[in-house]
Amino acid sequence: MRRYVIRRVAAMAATLVFVSILVFVVIRILPGDPALIILGLEASPDTVARLRHSLGLDRPLPIQYVQWVGHAVAGDLGRSVQYDVPVASLILSRLQVTLPLTLLAGGFMVAAAIPLGVFAATRHRRWGDYLTMVLSQIGVAVPAFWAGLLLILLFSVKLGWVQAGGFDGWSQGVWPAVRSLLLPAVALGLFQFAVLARTTRSAVLEVLREEYVKTARAKGVGEGAVLFRHALSNAMIPVLTVAGIQLGQLIAGSIILESVFYLPGLGRLALGAITARDLPVVQGVVLFVASLIVVINVAVDILYGFLDPRIRYE
Amino acid sequence: MRGIAVLVLTLALAVALAAPAPVQAQGGALIVQVATEPPGLDLTTNPSSAIAAVVFYNVQEALVKVDKHGKLVPWLAERWYTTDSKNYTFFLRKGVRFHNGRELKAADVKFVLERAVNPETKHPYRVQYENIQDVIVKDDYTISVTLKRPEANFLWTVARQGSVIYPREAVETLKTQPLGTGPFTVSEWVRGDRIVLTRNKDYWQKGLPHLDKVTFRFIPDPNSALAALKAGDIDVSGFGLGPESVDELKKDARYQVIVGDTTNDVTLSMNNSKKPYSDKRVRLAITHAMNKEEVLKGAMFGYGKILGSNVDPLNPYYVDVSKRVPYDPVKAKKLLAEAGYPNGFEATFKVAPQYYYTVRSAEVIVSQLAKVGIRARIQQVEWGQWLSQVFCLKPCENPDYDMSIIGHAEAWDIGNFANPKYYFRWDNAEFQKLFKESESAVEDKKRKELYGKMQTMLADEAPAVWLFMHPRLVVTKKGVTGLWKDLPIPSFDLSEVAWQK
Repeated sequence: MRRYVIRRVAAMAATLVFVSILVFVVIRILPGDPALIILGLEASPDTVARLRHSLGLDRPLPIQYVQWVGHAVAGDLGRSVQYDVPVASLILSRLQVTLPLTLLAGGFMVAAAIPLGVFAATRHRRWGDYLTMVLSQIGVAVPAFWAGLLLILLFSVKLGWVQAGGFDGWSQGVWPAVRSLLLPAVALGLFQFAVLARTTRSAVLEVLREEYVKTARAKGVGEGAVLFRHALSNAMIPVLTVAGIQLGQLIAGSIILESVFYLPGLGRLALGAITARDLPVVQGVVLFVASLIVVINVAVDILYGFLDPRIRYE
Repeated sequence: MRGIAVLVLTLALAVALAAPAPVQAQGGALIVQVATEPPGLDLTTNPSSAIAAVVFYNVQEALVKVDKHGKLVPWLAERWYTTDSKNYTFFLRKGVRFHNGRELKAADVKFVLERAVNPETKHPYRVQYENIQDVIVKDDYTISVTLKRPEANFLWTVARQGSVIYPREAVETLKTQPLGTGPFTVSEWVRGDRIVLTRNKDYWQKGLPHLDKVTFRFIPDPNSALAALKAGDIDVSGFGLGPESVDELKKDARYQVIVGDTTNDVTLSMNNSKKPYSDKRVRLAITHAMNKEEVLKGAMFGYGKILGSNVDPLNPYYVDVSKRVPYDPVKAKKLLAEAGYPNGFEATFKVAPQYYYTVRSAEVIVSQLAKVGIRARIQQVEWGQWLSQVFCLKPCENPDYDMSIIGHAEAWDIGNFANPKYYFRWDNAEFQKLFKESESAVEDKKRKELYGKMQTMLADEAPAVWLFMHPRLVVTKKGVTGLWKDLPIPSFDLSEVAWQK
């Protein structure tokens, strides 16, 4: 087991280095001089030259990279050009929106996907199965921002139950904060259940075909107990993996929803920083999110190892 | 003795109650939506109009103000005089306090102006202050400025957003906590979400501001802004509401719509350094092919004003030259044939979708140009790309575009056409001479005459096609009063805004 974990962590470190290089290079190839974009059309050449120098843009690329990575490892992601605050603190403050939003959305997604997947598996090849699959296809087809706008129109403009968007902060109380995240979480997570539902369905179907399930049925165990006591825990292993990947998708999808609901989250921070060419912020956010996803996947892999002994001995 | 006291008190009470009730409520809060979050709050190092919207005239003020009608009025300077447009003396208002309690004195003005001239400061418009030779403090409330050359426009320079007066001890925190003399102070900035302004109780104009608190909310998406307005989450939609929503909101009794003028001239630029646009006949043909009314209807739902040259109606020297090159597709085809393009030619519009009106205008114009044989297509480019390819920011050497559309928001920018390196790449010695004369002309009458000549020349030579002035579109809940109708400066002036009782 220990060797398995060590190998996984080593792979993670290598991935992170690769990701950091990729982030760094991609941002540098973007057209348009960042200093000019920050200062606007009418700025004078020496103002621009000064900003380029303070952003470190006039130094050779490898040196810029090494400096950046060196600081990043210590937790210093630089200073935002737009806001003049440390990037790390910006990310942390935006996390208090994006993290709960993603977790809530994930919760909705799982709450929709797993029961539906199990239901479809037990009604295999009957109308229940087909209905579930049709519903999930519709879910895939619905774009998140459209769903978000429709939800706003209904629950905010028409019924007035919640605000149309915005986030006042956790200091106003837990329930009001969660309430402002409900609609975006539904729009983000609820319609994403397709892939997870299918995975659950096929996983459960496979497990139900196993020998030990036949044995249980032969023993006279009721169908409900067969399902929940014997089959489900084993079916959850692949489901867990897919859920981990889907979480990454949710983080990506949150960018769009944050714009629709004007939430001050990580996604909007990244979007605004790209347009304004706030390089330290763009680099910091992309590195952070990429690292987060890599870490989540490695954690899932390790968890996998605990759940399924067969995997440890690869 | 006590009886008389009671009598006096009763009389005083009666007088107080008999005073007419104010039409506007004193106090209250306002939530304003703006589309762009300001990149910092320092007006002296960043030209962004998003900063001006929040800070200019709400938090910081200048010696001279451009009022809601576009006129120069005394502000922190009570009066001034100059006899030769080279030596200016300003007399400061007494008793004006900064937000940190200290009184504004002439030494502060000297610090601000000298800092603007200093290249170390990185003032974005330093070139406009470099004409300042000397700033001399005569006494605590009198200051005189000597220029190197006579400049009639100097008062406009002193009124700009980059000339706001702040206390020198607060110069380090201008970006995050700007101090000034304005009716509000910045009390909170939640990055990415909102900026909150609170009333300055010691503001030098007694009785103002009316509001206690203003919250600027950053909502970039126009659909979200509309939803927030309809749900009642915001009171005012300041910038970014699309014209398509205006008609619908006008009919809704819960809201009031303000349609005014701005200094934003939406211009169709042509690359004068490239064939066929280097030929004046082709440029005039393109102008004749343009049905500007149709463009305004298609792109802006009819809101805005048609322009004939680079000067807009809010400018005191504005002359209407829009009829000099009227819509005439027959003449357009003739001119094209004369120039050697009887079958027209191909062209590409590079536009940045960040500004929705540029794409919409391009779509209408493409069909108009097709009628005279010019086969144009639209290429949407990201803002950074637009800046490097069309606007030709370094390291670009030559602009890479045929035609483009963008709004030029600066109030006095006719000088761009006197700059042969500007992205239009139009090099006309006669125009450059006229512009230089207008800059040094001292008499207002003479300047007006020169500006008239320049506008006429621009219309006749057609280095670009001036489409329309972008309107100011603001929607508020019923009951909000005191907002400016026109926007001669990019300030969202809230000093007189109040809720109607």
